[in-house]
Amino acid sequence: MVTITIQELTKRFSGSVVLSSVNLQIESGELFFLLGPSGCGKTTLLRHIAGFYTPDAGKIWFDDEDVTRLPAHKRGTGMMFQSYALWPHLNVAQNVAFGLEERKRPRREIEHRVSEALEQVKLDGLGSRKIQQLSGGQQQRVALARALVIRPKCLLLDEPLSNLDAKLRLEMRTEIRHIVKQHGLTAIYVTHDRDEALSMADRMAIMDAGKLIQVGAAPEIYLNPATRMVAEFIGETNFVEGRTLRESSRAGFYDVETPFGVLRGRTNDATWQPASGQPVMMSVRPEALTFGSVLDSPNRILGRIIDTTYLGASVQYLIQVTGGPQIKVCETNPQDIRLPGEEEVRVMAAMGDVVILRK
Amino acid sequence: MSKTLSLLIFLGMTAFFACFFAYPIWAALESAFRGPDHQFTLEYVSEVFLNELYRDGLWNSFIIAVWTTLGALCLALPLAVCYVRFAFPGRALMNSLVLIPMILPPFVGAIGIKAMLGQAGALNSLLIYLGMMDAMHPTDWLGQHRMLGIIIMEVLHLYPIIYLNAAAALSNLDPALEEAAANMGCNAWSRFWRVTLPLIMPGIFAGGTIVFVWSFTEMGVPLLFDYDRVTAVQIFRSINDLSGNPFPYALVAVMLVFSTLFYLTGKLFFGSANSGGGGRATTGRETIPLPSGLGWVCTAFFAGVTFLAVLPHLGVVLLSVSKDWYGTVIPHALTLEHYRNALGHELTLSSIANSLKYSTLAMLVALVLGIGVAYVSVRTRIWGRQILDAMAMLPLAVPGIVLAFGYLAMTREGQPFHWLMLGEDPLLLLVIAYAVRRLPYVVRSAAAGFQQVSPTLEEAAQNLGARPEKALWRITLPLVAPNLVAGALLAFSFAMLEVSDSMILAQQATYFPITKAIYSLVLSLGSGPNLASALGVWAMIFLAVTILGAGVILGKKLGALFRG
Repeated sequence: MVTITIQELTKRFSGSVVLSSVNLQIESGELFFLLGPSGCGKTTLLRHIAGFYTPDAGKIWFDDEDVTRLPAHKRGTGMMFQSYALWPHLNVAQNVAFGLEERKRPRREIEHRVSEALEQVKLDGLGSRKIQQLSGGQQQRVALARALVIRPKCLLLDEPLSNLDAKLRLEMRTEIRHIVKQHGLTAIYVTHDRDEALSMADRMAIMDAGKLIQVGAAPEIYLNPATRMVAEFIGETNFVEGRTLRESSRAGFYDVETPFGVLRGRTNDATWQPASGQPVMMSVRPEALTFGSVLDSPNRILGRIIDTTYLGASVQYLIQVTGGPQIKVCETNPQDIRLPGEEEVRVMAAMGDVVILRK
Repeated sequence: MSKTLSLLIFLGMTAFFACFFAYPIWAALESAFRGPDHQFTLEYVSEVFLNELYRDGLWNSFIIAVWTTLGALCLALPLAVCYVRFAFPGRALMNSLVLIPMILPPFVGAIGIKAMLGQAGALNSLLIYLGMMDAMHPTDWLGQHRMLGIIIMEVLHLYPIIYLNAAAALSNLDPALEEAAANMGCNAWSRFWRVTLPLIMPGIFAGGTIVFVWSFTEMGVPLLFDYDRVTAVQIFRSINDLSGNPFPYALVAVMLVFSTLFYLTGKLFFGSANSGGGGRATTGRETIPLPSGLGWVCTAFFAGVTFLAVLPHLGVVLLSVSKDWYGTVIPHALTLEHYRNALGHELTLSSIANSLKYSTLAMLVALVLGIGVAYVSVRTRIWGRQILDAMAMLPLAVPGIVLAFGYLAMTREGQPFHWLMLGEDPLLLLVIAYAVRRLPYVVRSAAAGFQQVSPTLEEAAQNLGARPEKALWRITLPLVAPNLVAGALLAFSFAMLEVSDSMILAQQATYFPITKAIYSLVLSLGSGPNLASALGVWAMIFLAVTILGAGVILGKKLGALFRG
């Protein structure tokens, strides 16, 4: 398995910058996610690694080998395309065998490895089927088998689950992660679905407008988002603007003045100490807010419920903060459901759940 | 539209097709298989195969068709790949330029080729001038290689059909399918053979079949090359003793059977192999910019092919303005006399008037039928509407000469449709023949129009109180009008230059349409070929203007009309 190193990668399409000085190292055997809104450049980055694009500047390394100018067919990556890109003129087994034939493997070995690969994706016995006779989920498995059978240096997955229905998508998440780990593959997975990234990734990179915004493991990014964009993209959140007052009596926590009172929170970056009077942004996740009491926290917010959405496993409330913005509160395993009304309610948040971001 | 009206249209169409498409084919076949005492016989057909002359004709037609198709493929496929894959200077312009040959009547071009490749033609003169040929013993290019001349002419005329089909198939191909092959370690060359070509095969096949059947049954070009050893010309030559002679019919039957067989075999091997299944394209195809040297090579390739294909017609233009063109590269002296004379000649004026009359009427008939078929097949859910649509496209696959003979057979004395003859006047027959042959173009362009105009627009009109017929008239028809006009223009201009029906169905000079007039002028002595060229140039100008008009109205969709 290779370590993939990307240095200062830059690409322009007809004048507009789609990748801007991207630096990234993906470790051997890592399941790495490229996550971002559509048009952020994540697929473009993946296609550079596959060799379908040549960068305007920068380099790509597979271990010690500079592959920047190496054509796609010599890179030895296995890619799963969003549309699967299964060849309709070949049957299932022929599709899977293609890469091995190109590698001039002996016929016997090809047969053996193809049936092995089909077995692994639970399609044993379907080798002679036509592509058109398969369901979407089966086609997806053929595409996976085709990419795996060549024992690729790295596996590239371009939104592989986006054409499946919700239930199948959940199943395949576990399965793909299982297969990738079983083979110890270096894998890069492009998606715009944060749940996929959070549930599967060893590490992930959040991209926006051609730049890497933040790289890290899922909890790191969820709990310490580098920017407002990351905080918003990786999960639902409430933003509150304010000014830092001072460092609080508790080390590492800061008091921030808002129109509806003072909130105490922590910064997203331990090395950063906001100066007093500095305008900042705070992110508080809906599930961090509760109607109950939180010990040892000064964070009380008063307001009234203006909307209630029942979701079964949880209830979402929209609250108009007295003298402040509207915030979302999410209560899991709800016992009694509060209805919108005029009476004032109080919600609380732990100090660690109020994350101060640079504005 | 009310159900009754749809049903009425459906029944009307079916009846028309039964009478003027199915029945004539049946009539031609019947004459081929029915003996003097009205029994079924294989005697005439087997005689065709026993007779060396006929066998030879069939074989030659087959050879011509094979080489024409291969030649057109070799020319069109690289062009299509270049166009779809690469960005090069003048790409859009070149894409239109290479289509020009399709609208130039090949049998007019044949006159030009003769002028250039003849013993005292332009090519020999050039070679002699360059000292590469002995002036005393010029090569008789066409004398020995007339078949080659025919093949060249037909390749240069028909390659755009394959080009359009291949280019469409290529640009519809999901680029991810090729990228997946590259990802699996397949280099560009092997990628083309293992993935791209098999996937665009149905498209190539669709175009190839039209070219094959077209060249297999082409009559005009061999006729002008004086090449009698092909079936189509043999059929034409035997037309004079038609009444008692079953052999032309037997030949027609054999020709139809062969065309159908070729078509079905091809379909079996290439047609159905793969359709869809590739998922939706996720990445748009980007054209690869070429380094400027290679880019210009591409441009030169397109320009060269176009020039080559237009060359015969340039010869025609030169011939039409030359006083005397004999033994020189270009004519000695130029004159406009032939144009004047052409307009004064008794045959030309009447033939132009005849062609205008036949083609206009045929266009109207095709338009009415085409709108009907397209409407029923796109907008209604009547059982059998797909069959009707498929039937309307069949004339593309059935050789014109077969239909022409069918019309002859079904209007013989004593036959139920004898009254169509109007004495000796072929007006009705030619109008019907032209209309049926060009119906596919009208149907496709009208159907495309109906598909683009959402039925909800019409429903909104009905919702506001318009009767269904009124809604169709006020909303849908104006919206599809551009498609209808374009289809009609195509039908009209192709009717103006139709060869096989015109040659076979118009027997008296006063009823000759343009094409037959050109043919008989070529045969006449003196300045005949010059006059024919002048008439041909008139016709080409005419055709160019109408097609250009259709192109402007239809835009890029023009190409869609020629896809099988």
